[in-house]
Amino acid sequence: MDFYLGLLQIIGVHTLLGLSAYVVLLTGQVSLAQAGFMAIGAYVSAMLTVLAKWALVPALLTGGAAAAAVACLVGFPALRVRGLMLVVATLAFGEAVRLFFFNFDYQIAMGGIKVGPLGGEGFRQIRYFPENGWTTFQVMVFIWLTVGVVMTALWWMDRSRVGAVLRAVGEDEVAAQSAGLNLTAVKVSAMTLGGFIAGVAGGLYAHYTTHIEQGNFNVLVATFAIAYPILGGLSNVFGTLAAVVFIQGFLIEGLRFLGDWRNLLFGALIVLAMNVRPGGLLDAQTMSKGLSALRRLLDPAYGSAAARQAIDGLKDAGAMFRRLIAKWKGAFGA
Amino acid sequence: MSIARTTALSAALGLALLAIPGTAQAQERQVKITGFGAMSGVVRSFGINSKAALEAAADRINRSGGVTLGDGAKGKIVIEFLDDRCNAEEGISVLRRIASSEALVAVGPTCSNVAEPLFGILQKKFGDAGDTGLQFPIFTDVAIKIGLAKISEWAFRNVPNETEMYATLFKWLKATKPNLKTIYGGVEENFAHSRATWYAVMKEVAAKEGFEIKGESKWLLEDTNFSNQAREAKKAEADIIAIAAHPFSTCGMLKEMARQGVKPKLLIGLTSSSSTETLQGCAGEAEAIIIPTSFAPINDQARAAADAVSKFKGSLDLHSGAAWENVFILKKIIEEQKVMAKPDTVKADREKIRAGLAKLTVTDGLIGKSKRTPDREAIKPYLFVHAKAGKWEVLHTPAVN
Repeated sequence: MDFYLGLLQIIGVHTLLGLSAYVVLLTGQVSLAQAGFMAIGAYVSAMLTVLAKWALVPALLTGGAAAAAVACLVGFPALRVRGLMLVVATLAFGEAVRLFFFNFDYQIAMGGIKVGPLGGEGFRQIRYFPENGWTTFQVMVFIWLTVGVVMTALWWMDRSRVGAVLRAVGEDEVAAQSAGLNLTAVKVSAMTLGGFIAGVAGGLYAHYTTHIEQGNFNVLVATFAIAYPILGGLSNVFGTLAAVVFIQGFLIEGLRFLGDWRNLLFGALIVLAMNVRPGGLLDAQTMSKGLSALRRLLDPAYGSAAARQAIDGLKDAGAMFRRLIAKWKGAFGA
Repeated sequence: MSIARTTALSAALGLALLAIPGTAQAQERQVKITGFGAMSGVVRSFGINSKAALEAAADRINRSGGVTLGDGAKGKIVIEFLDDRCNAEEGISVLRRIASSEALVAVGPTCSNVAEPLFGILQKKFGDAGDTGLQFPIFTDVAIKIGLAKISEWAFRNVPNETEMYATLFKWLKATKPNLKTIYGGVEENFAHSRATWYAVMKEVAAKEGFEIKGESKWLLEDTNFSNQAREAKKAEADIIAIAAHPFSTCGMLKEMARQGVKPKLLIGLTSSSSTETLQGCAGEAEAIIIPTSFAPINDQARAAADAVSKFKGSLDLHSGAAWENVFILKKIIEEQKVMAKPDTVKADREKIRAGLAKLTVTDGLIGKSKRTPDREAIKPYLFVHAKAGKWEVLHTPAVN
């Protein structure tokens, strides 16, 4: 059971990483800087909980804010270039951040030993979760609550004027500019929001792995970040989730028993998935069909007793989550 | 008796006969030990060799009757091996998978950058009810970066103590080769073990012995071009060049040094490079390189183990040698601690194994006895080998052994 809970943690954090790239991709930009933002969030929040003894949630939010601030600063010059130039610019930024942490030493003596980031050797003992009595299940629920909040916010944004503006810029920049949209403001805003989400993902990553180092935030992670929404489909936020489940749940964990063959199949299956589902694993049409089916199921006139039982079950789960949140007051510093 | 009835009875009898060996097999209990490490990527050879060593050792034990369990029954050791791709996140996932199975103990990982987070998710102090870290014993064979086992009381290592090995090496060099005065380093910067060994071990102990440090060249584990680094090494004109890198990039650097005509008076290598991979990759360029190691086939026992591992398509070196030793150490602990190896005793059995590992003060190894330290590390016997005509030969056995 512990393994599946751990896997859900990984899927949750990677979903956040994918969503951070999703926001930027909506504006038609491809950013390979997400791993860099994730690194900033990871190091900042870990330093706050380990060295400054902050509570987790303020540390995560501060880590996210730091990543967002850097994303905003980077966004202004980087987003003035387009297409492949932007890919190279953001890749260079991501590598610069990684190399910064490769050389970043900040250790202080605590309890007779030195703790904190130590360049290439990384930052160990980020043990907020186990030392505060969080079980694997509780960590998983916390991560998924965060994912839920972010997904709901992005889902709402997608259906608001903000989402329309982002997609307008992504569809046709010239038309969007003709309609009076400030392209730089829109793109920088998307980059900032993406940076914030990646920063929070990094903070969670640091705390569930207990050890971070620059190698955890390399170009492969940046590639995965954009691969998730592209593979899953950009029509809605759930595509990213579907892609993360496909890659992390199936390709990486599900096929582990294949040994060396797994690495070979990994790339082939991604190519196959992109060919079979060119619009994404969860494109607009599939999503629309799924939502219609769900509506019919939940409609009392059509819904079965089993469906109603499932809804009652969800209500019970809601009550359980409320109890858990009450337990986690400490994480908010209360 | 009708034909149909005869057929039915025959089928039932056949099924019953088939079930007999099945029942006997069900009574034979299994002691599951799961290995994990890098089976892919640049350092995959370490995982492949560890897997072969674990399987060969288990085969040896099983052929000689298996393990005696707590109630006197005999159990067979079953080895499974999982690939973590030398990735921290995958390593954690693999460990959680192992802990969710009926495995009693894990042997691994390959990479120190995986070991650090893995040990971090374990319960720090055994029995601390306030610490919800994973309670599962790990007995590491490969990840060698100094001081990792102290992260958790569930973490144990059977890896050599590099500080002591290199301190002895430099002391010996000072005494036997007084003409060597200066040293230059080459370090694989993005590999935790290589980096720690150069900066915290080689550089420190060499300076302590009075060698002048002329600087270091840096590269990455995946690098394939070493022209700048070799040029820097040439410019330094040091008597000794010490390469803190794994076989893949060690060979890259040595080949480039040979191409540029960099000829130091002495070459020193990283412990992990005292393997067949280095000789397969660059035997000529590595000629005479000196490496301290905790394994060499210097006695009958070590030679027999090396032969057994080669039958499982692996080679025995200081790391896979530790994997081999670990299985035999675990067998002894399982028997002494009266492990039951039943599905309902998994948690208790894991605690018994942890307790048994914690109690160890000395263990048997392939080239001699190892001492155990209170912080769950090993002080293994070691020797200095050098590459000679495509083979590792013992150059010196320190008296400390």
